[in-house]
Amino acid sequence: MAGPRPAQNMLGVAGLMPVVVSIGLAMLMLLPLGSGLADYATPHLVMISCFYWLSWRPLLMPYGACTLLGLFLDLWLGAPLGVNTVMLLLTRLFVLNQLKYYKGKNRGVYWGVFSVMAFGFFTLSWLLTSAVAGQFLAADTVFLQWLVTSFFYAPVAFVLGRLRRWVL
Amino acid sequence: MRTTGVRGRGTLSKRVARGRDAFWLYMGLAIALYALELFGSGVPRQVRAYANDLATPVLTLLNEPIQILQSGLERVAGVGDIYLENQELRDENGKLRQWREAAQRLIVENERLRQILKVPEREVPPLATAAVIGIGGGAFERSVLINAGSTENVSGNLPVVDELGLVGRTIEVGLMTTRVLLITDLNSRVPIRLERTGDVAIAEGLNEAFMRMRFLAVDSSVQVGDRVVTSGHGGLFPPDIPVGEITGIVEDFIELTPVSNLNTLDFVRVMDYRPLPPELDSVQAPEQAGGQ
Repeated sequence: MAGPRPAQNMLGVAGLMPVVVSIGLAMLMLLPLGSGLADYATPHLVMISCFYWLSWRPLLMPYGACTLLGLFLDLWLGAPLGVNTVMLLLTRLFVLNQLKYYKGKNRGVYWGVFSVMAFGFFTLSWLLTSAVAGQFLAADTVFLQWLVTSFFYAPVAFVLGRLRRWVL
Repeated sequence: MRTTGVRGRGTLSKRVARGRDAFWLYMGLAIALYALELFGSGVPRQVRAYANDLATPVLTLLNEPIQILQSGLERVAGVGDIYLENQELRDENGKLRQWREAAQRLIVENERLRQILKVPEREVPPLATAAVIGIGGGAFERSVLINAGSTENVSGNLPVVDELGLVGRTIEVGLMTTRVLLITDLNSRVPIRLERTGDVAIAEGLNEAFMRMRFLAVDSSVQVGDRVVTSGHGGLFPPDIPVGEITGIVEDFIELTPVSNLNTLDFVRVMDYRPLPPELDSVQAPEQAGGQ
């Protein structure tokens, strides 16, 4: 039988790891990695990170942390303020409500659930950004970013999993 | 047992209620920020400019190993072609020597003619040279972050170039960083001129690797391979900076590929180009009219 899930105050500094790792991934999203395609089809590493930690340690990724991460992303990426914040808040809401249906299933199910959720949120971000631009922006680049993000879920989740077992 | 169960359920429902409250609190904040952006407030732009400064030290630190890795890979990849490249460079060097002599002769002649005709200097000095330390915009915007800000006297709407041509213009200026809107961004419009014919048009960004040439006169002749430079109209960009080359014409869609290395930008130059403010123009105009 699995023990109770640790809360942030029980783990001390280690409990901050999910948020710190997510901030690190947000910075990684900003780095110029040298290819034009990579520049605009960078995987949404923070969404992957939030989904992962919420699925495994929901108490360590509270709504406040999701808001902070979303705000950092909006500011650093130059996206309209509020768009990434809404996406990450909805990620938390989604995982907390749906976790009971996929918890304990194999990794493929987690991957599938993430892809479906990400599709919905990328569509929402496309609509919100189009509203700010005053016209429908090209949907193909958003679709490409969703594909890349979905593809990258497995390797990033693997690394986060190693980190979780090592620290938490 | 039953009492404990009831108490447990009570704690759980309290936690759920607290979570719901927190969700709506933060969602309200996010919606308020979005509304600021939606209704065109200038506040988000200024906040964003200073937020970039916060990330600069970490980005600069993270950028170092990436630069080293990239240059290492380029070096390894280039070893095989080094003999052929050397041969090509020798040929090119010979041709360039001839061009240099011709260019120097023309510069002297041009300068003399400018002095005779009292034509003002057109050379635009660089204000700052900066490294690209970040990219931005995700799928919706084409912009980069450079490590020069208001401390280097960089301000908004200054042209940014690389060694080949126009890159974009500065939009959000922080203390140590500036965001540069690339010419391929959807919101970018650059007044241009066809080098061969002198016809003017507008290069419009599409959030793609290429741009679209618009508002070209119907009777102008345009060909694939034509080079395009800035026209200087509008006062935002100085004239004669290379912008792109026409790479495709399909009915009224003229595709323009940027000459600058937008995909692999590492260093850029911010130009010190500050044309006369519009109010000065309007002051001079009546005087000139009166004089005539």
